Amino acid sequence: MTIDERARELTPPTTPALRLRGISKRYGPVVASDGVDLDVHHGEIHGLLGENGAGKSTLMKILLGLVKRDSGTILRGEEPADITSPQEAVALGIGMVHQHFSLIDALTVWENVILGDTGKIDRTAACRQVEEVSRRYGLPIDPLARVDRLSAGERQRVELIKCLRRDPSVLILDEPTSVLTQAESAELFTVLRQVVRTEDRAVILISHKLAEITAATDRVTVLRKGRVVFHSETSATTPQELARQMVGRDVSLRAEGAALGLLPVDGGRPADTGTAPDTALDTAPDIETGTAPDTETGTASPAPGVVPALRLRDLTVTVDGVTALSDLSLDIAPGEILGLYGVEGNGQSVLGDLLSGLVLPTSGTVEVGGRPVELDRPGALHRAGLGIIPEDRHSSGVVLDMSIAENLVMKSLGDVSGRGFISRRKMYGIARRLAAEFNIVAPSMDTPVRSLSGGNQQRVVLARELSAGPSVLVAAQPTHGLDVGAIEDMYQRLQDAASGGVAVLLISTELEEVMALASRIAVICSGRITGVLPTGEATAERLGMLVGGVAA
Amino acid sequence: MNEREDLGSGDVLRRLLSNLNPGPSGWRTGAATILALLVALTLSSLLIAVTGGSPVASVEALFQGSMSDLTAWSSTLLYAAPLLLVAVGACVSARSGLFNIGQEGQVLIGALAAAWVGLRLAITGPLLIVVMLLAAGLAAGGWAGLSSLMYRLRGVNVVVSTLLMTFVAQQIVAYAVNTPWLLQESRIGNAIVSPQSNPLPSSALLGSIGEYPGLQINAGLIIALIAAVLIAVAISRTTWGFKITMLGRNPLAAKHAGVRVTALGGAALAVSGAFAGLAGAVLLASPVGVNRLQPGLSMNIGWDGLLVALVARNRPLAAMPVALLFGVLRSGGGFLAATGVPSFLVDVVKALLVLAFVAPPVVVALARRRRSGDRTAGARREAAPVAEEAIA
Ligand SMILES: Nc1ncnc2c1ncn2[C@@H]1O[C@H](COP(=O)(O)OP(=O)(O)OP(=O)(O)O)[C@@H](O)[C@H]1O
Ligand SMILES: [Mg+2]
Repeated sequence: MTIDERARELTPPTTPALRLRGISKRYGPVVASDGVDLDVHHGEIHGLLGENGAGKSTLMKILLGLVKRDSGTILRGEEPADITSPQEAVALGIGMVHQHFSLIDALTVWENVILGDTGKIDRTAACRQVEEVSRRYGLPIDPLARVDRLSAGERQRVELIKCLRRDPSVLILDEPTSVLTQAESAELFTVLRQVVRTEDRAVILISHKLAEITAATDRVTVLRKGRVVFHSETSATTPQELARQMVGRDVSLRAEGAALGLLPVDGGRPADTGTAPDTALDTAPDIETGTAPDTETGTASPAPGVVPALRLRDLTVTVDGVTALSDLSLDIAPGEILGLYGVEGNGQSVLGDLLSGLVLPTSGTVEVGGRPVELDRPGALHRAGLGIIPEDRHSSGVVLDMSIAENLVMKSLGDVSGRGFISRRKMYGIARRLAAEFNIVAPSMDTPVRSLSGGNQQRVVLARELSAGPSVLVAAQPTHGLDVGAIEDMYQRLQDAASGGVAVLLISTELEEVMALASRIAVICSGRITGVLPTGEATAERLGMLVGGVAA
Repeated sequence: MNEREDLGSGDVLRRLLSNLNPGPSGWRTGAATILALLVALTLSSLLIAVTGGSPVASVEALFQGSMSDLTAWSSTLLYAAPLLLVAVGACVSARSGLFNIGQEGQVLIGALAAAWVGLRLAITGPLLIVVMLLAAGLAAGGWAGLSSLMYRLRGVNVVVSTLLMTFVAQQIVAYAVNTPWLLQESRIGNAIVSPQSNPLPSSALLGSIGEYPGLQINAGLIIALIAAVLIAVAISRTTWGFKITMLGRNPLAAKHAGVRVTALGGAALAVSGAFAGLAGAVLLASPVGVNRLQPGLSMNIGWDGLLVALVARNRPLAAMPVALLFGVLRSGGGFLAATGVPSFLVDVVKALLVLAFVAPPVVVALARRRRSGDRTAGARREAAPVAEEAIA
C-alpha cells in the first residue's frame, strides 16, 4: 500500500460521485437486484464482485439507463438522477465498457470509436482524437487498423478509448480482463490508476478474479443473489474472505488458486502449492505407468501402446496467406488432461475453430480414437465423439436468439426427435435435467440465451458438450467469465471427465489453470508446439522460454 | 402490491403483442403500428380527395368490390390464395437467412411449367392437375435453386441473383408465348395470334367448392392454407425447421452443430421458389385469370406475396390474414378503379399500408439505437437491454 492510498483512506470521503439506494429489479421469478445500496466516490476504484448471475451486469445496466429498475433511486452527487436512457447517462458523465465486445469487426478502429455519433464524419479529426486519447492514457492503438485483425487486448483498448473519449467521470468496466492476458490486465490497471488518481474520476470494476480486485481496488462490494452481502475497504479484507462472501461457503484451495491466479507470477514455481502433483496422481494414472514423455523432440506421445483418444498430426492452417498453425502435432491419451499453454494469439483460436469444424486444415489430420475424422463433413467431429467449449461462445457456441432448451439440444437433435419431429416434452425434459445438474439459473427454459448472465451462457455450452458423452473434450479458456464457485465446479467437471476416461485438451493462457489441472503441458508459440513437458518438470523459466519460442 | 399487479397485466399485454410480432417488440411497436396505420389512412384519404375523388365513396367501393357480397368475397379469396403461397415460401427462405426476392419470376416459371404440362402432355383425368402442380413446384424450385448454385460456385449474392433472375424468367415466358413450337396459341384460319398460349383444357383447371353467385372456394386456396399450416408446423416442430432457424440466427453455430449449411440454405431457397411456382400454377389454373399463359400472368403477385411475408414477419400462420387483407385490396382495388379513381392510387394506398406495418418495428428499434447513443453497436450483442425496454 502506498502512502497516498493510505492518506485517501484516512480522509473522510466527500459527497460520493454516485449513490444507489434500494435498487431492485426482477425478471419473472429471478431477482436480479434486491434493494441494492452502493456508494461510489471520486478518486476511487470500486470493485464489484459476485457469482455468475448475482446481478452485477444488471445493476450496471440500470445505472446506464439500459435496463429499467423496478424501484430505487440514483443520486449523482447531490442531485437525484432519473436515468432512463444511455444518453442521459452519458450526459451525467457515466460511461461503460460492456462485458462482451460490442465492436464491429469489419470496421476500423476509428470508425468503431465514432460509431453512434451524429453529424458529419471527419476522418482525420476522428483519427486525431483516437490518437490523442490513446496517448493520454497510454493505450497504444492504430486508428486505421481493422478490428477483426486485433487481439483481444487491443479490442479492449478500443472499447476503453471509445468510452474515455466522452470523458466520463464515472467509468464502469464489466469484466474487462476476462479475455486479457496477465500483462494486458496489468497495463489496464495502470491506466485505471492513472485515470483515478490524476483526474479524480470514479471507476466501478467488475471482475471474477479476486487477485485483481484486491490489487486494483480501493473499496469492494459483494453481491449475492441480487443483494449486497458484504462491503469493505479492500485493504481490510482478504481474497479468501471475498470468495467466502461471494459463494456463501468456503471454496476449495485449487479454484481459489486459479481465481487468485491473475497475480503476476514472479519467477517462482507456481506448482509449489502442491496442487499440481496431486492432480497428476488423481487423474492421469496412465502417465504414471507410462514412460516419460519425450520432451526433447517436442513430439507428444503420452504412453506408447495406448491409442491416443485425440491425435493431431502435422496440422497446418493458412488463413489469408498467414500461417496460423504450422505442423502442429499432439497426442492426448484417454483420461489425460493436456494443457495447451501460450500467449493469446499464437494459433489457439484457429485450433479451436478447426476442432469446431469451422476451419479446414491446409494439411494434416485429426484422429479421434485412432480413426481419422473427415473434417470436411459437417458435424463429423461431434459424431466422432469430440466435444468442445469454444473460446468465443457467442460466435459459435450458442445461438443467442434461441432458447436455453434449444441451445442445449441443438447438437443432438436426434435424441429429442422421432421421424423428423422434435418432441418438446423430451427437449424440455433434457433441458430441465441439464439446467439442474449444471446450475443454470434462468427464469425458464424458454428464456433466450442472450438474456442469460455471462457465466450461465458458459454453463449452457458446458452442459451441452458434456452431456453428449464425448471421448475427447476440448476446453478453450473454459473459465473465462466464471466466478470462483463456478471455476471450482468447472475444474471438478473437467477432472471428473478425465477420470471417466475422457481425453481433455485444455487450451488456456492462464498458467495457474494449466498447472493446476494438466498432467502434461504443451506450449504453443506462433502456431507451433515449442515443447511438451510433464507438469512436474514445468518450471516458470522453462515454460517462459518455450512460450517465447525457445526450445527448453 | 399494486405495482406487482401492474407488472402482471403488463406482462400479459406484452406476451399478447409479442405473439403478434416475433422478435424484440412490444407495446411501443404495437402503438407505433396503430399510429402508422392511422397516418397511412389519413394520407390515403387526402390523396383521394386531392385527385378529385371522395374518400368515403372510395372506401365504399373498396368494400363493395371485396366484401360486400359472396361474389366479392370469392374474388378476394382468389387473389389471397397465390399471395399466401408466395408468402409461405418467402417465410422459409427469410428464416434461413437467405433472402429470396425473385418470387415474381418464380411465379412465371411455375406457370410456364404448368402450362406446358397442361397443354402438351397427354395426361387424362385428375392426374393432370397434380402433375401440373408438381411440375410448377419443381421448375420454380430448381429455378430458385440456381441462385444458390451461383452463390456456391461464384459467390454471387442471393438477393441480387434472385432479383435478376426475375427478368430472365420474364424473357423466357415472353419467348415461349411468342414461339409457335413452344406455347404460342395455334393459328385458326387467318386470325392474328397473340403472345399467349391456348386456353387450358377443362381437365387442367382447379375446381371450386360452391357456385356463383354463392361463395366459391377454389382448390388453390385450400392448397395455400394447407401449405401455410404445413410450413408453420415444419418450422416450429421439426428438426428441419430447427436447423433452418439455427442457420438464420447464427450460421457459424449451425455449422458447428453439424448442419450442412450450403445444402440446407440451398434447400430453403428451392422450397421458397417451389411455393412461388405453385402460386404460378394456381394463377394459371384458377378462375382468377383467363387460364392461358400470358407474360402478364403474374400480376405482381410475386412482389405482393413478398410484402405479405414482410408484414407477417415471416410467420406462415400470420400470413393468412395478411394475404386476405392484400386480397381485399386487390379485388376492391379493381372495383375502385372501375368507379373512376385512378388505379395507381390503389397501389399507393397499398404501399402506405405496407409501410404502416413494416416501418414501426424498424423505427422503434432505430429510436432505441439513437437513444443508446454511443453504444450503437452494443445493440447488436447486448440485445437484452433492448428486449428490456420493450417490456418497460
Ligand atoms: N433480459 C433478461 N431477461 C431475463 N432474465 C435476465 C435478463 N437479464 C438478466 N437476467 C437474469 O438476471 C440475473 C442476473 O444477471 P446478470 O447478467 O446481472 O448477472 P452477472 O452478475 O453479470 O453475472 P455474470 O458474472 O455471469 O456476468 C441472471 O439470473 C440472469 O439470467
Ligand atoms: Mg455479467
